[in-house]
Amino acid sequence: MFGYVRPSMARLTEEDRARFSGVYCGLCRVLGERYGQTARMILNYDFTFLAVLLWPEEDAPPLHRGCIAHPFAGRDYFPGNKALELAADESVILAWWQIQDVLADPEKGKGKYRAASLALKSAYRRARERRPAFDAVAREQLERLRELEEARCPSLDEPADAFARILSAASGEVDDPVKRRVLEQLLYHLGRWIYLVDAADDLAKDFSSGSYNPLIFRFSLDEGALTGEARESLAASLDHSIRLMAAAYELWDFGVWSPVMRATVYEGLFLVGRAVLEGTFQAHDMTFRIMGRNKEQL
Amino acid sequence: MTDPYEVLNIPRTASDEEVKKAYRDLARKYHPDNYHDNPLADLAQEKMKEINAAYHAIQQERGSKSGGASYSGGYAQQSYGGYQYQQRTAGSPAFQQVRMAINRNDLGMAEQLLDRMDDHNGEWNFLKGTICYRRGWVDEARRYYQTACQMDPGDAEFRQALNFVENNQAGYRPEGYEVFSSGCGGDNLCGRLACTYLMCNLCSVGGMRFFCC
Repeated sequence: MFGYVRPSMARLTEEDRARFSGVYCGLCRVLGERYGQTARMILNYDFTFLAVLLWPEEDAPPLHRGCIAHPFAGRDYFPGNKALELAADESVILAWWQIQDVLADPEKGKGKYRAASLALKSAYRRARERRPAFDAVAREQLERLRELEEARCPSLDEPADAFARILSAASGEVDDPVKRRVLEQLLYHLGRWIYLVDAADDLAKDFSSGSYNPLIFRFSLDEGALTGEARESLAASLDHSIRLMAAAYELWDFGVWSPVMRATVYEGLFLVGRAVLEGTFQAHDMTFRIMGRNKEQL
Repeated sequence: MTDPYEVLNIPRTASDEEVKKAYRDLARKYHPDNYHDNPLADLAQEKMKEINAAYHAIQQERGSKSGGASYSGGYAQQSYGGYQYQQRTAGSPAFQQVRMAINRNDLGMAEQLLDRMDDHNGEWNFLKGTICYRRGWVDEARRYYQTACQMDPGDAEFRQALNFVENNQAGYRPEGYEVFSSGCGGDNLCGRLACTYLMCNLCSVGGMRFFCC
């Protein structure tokens, strides 16, 4: 996934910000512990948010330690728990299948993806053993997505549905039936939103390389960019999915995470969508930016 | 019974005005319009019942003391069902079956029935749109509803569905949250908000450099 899901930080207190970054750092550590150092390159905010959604009601207080990215100052992080483990396992599975998808696409560059595929191979095998149901859904829906791409599907909603179903499957292990229903919907629309935002973010690149992008087939473009009318129409779809996420969010008490959730579904996602549509969002090249950034910081 | 003040998330010392405000905000949040054709509508309806009961209880408690305003049904009477048009007089039996499947939330069956039909008339497009809308596929829902309205411009049911998709864009937001992905009225307020609320502030949060503007 791509790191589009962010709370609007200005809406959060210092304490809430620290809590959220504690999950980010916790997820990074759990990825390292379960899958080795190279797996940490797939860390991103989308899965941090997934861990927040699945957070257990009783959690251990954060710990403080230095890490490879922050060796001297150190960072507060939450020690491993079920939510972090699930988010780690599922991010490995999804990253793996997305890399395989790129490798299968003749229009896309291969070098760094081949390297990432090799680096993640054994991690993926372990993750698949831990979460066979999620792996099955991810494989099936990404296969469906590939067929839709080959058919040059002109619908936005159909390919977005394939991706949405994968995220929605992350709710499968939630015990409480009401929470599961709420998360199923919330994650479905989160997946739809991520897919559509990513399509908008990649539009110029896909247009010039000839890769599939549903926006190319759905809208009439002006030299590879969305026309004003098309942009409004896409924005309406994005906003609608965020609204359905918010509607689901309000039906469950997320306790200490409520401020982070509110700052995400009532503002952060709108701001990210807006930045992407205006072309001011800094494009992420899948899994590699964060690793690059860590190197810079060292 | 749950403490009605807890349900409305206010202290016992709240003034009548504060009670009313808390009730209105919650009622706006769980309003049927926000859960129209939503698979979680039953949960929202439960919430609304709780809120109405809590407000009613507080009104009664205070009314008996001070003779204050009595509880008015408020939002209680509205429907969460959304699509409720089973009794379309001119509809063919085949379309009635589709409508029944939609009402049962058996969208797969409804879609299968539609896909078997050759005549893609206004009602066919309307029902396709309804299935899409229930799934949250708003782009396709709008296109099917538009086609339905073009085919039968005088049909009130199709027009109503299209209006709902096109005009019910706001949804619930807590007070003070106003940013949309697009269409902010052109005063560049959103641009300024985006910069204030997200990007600039995020540049340096805990080593997580999100954006720089």
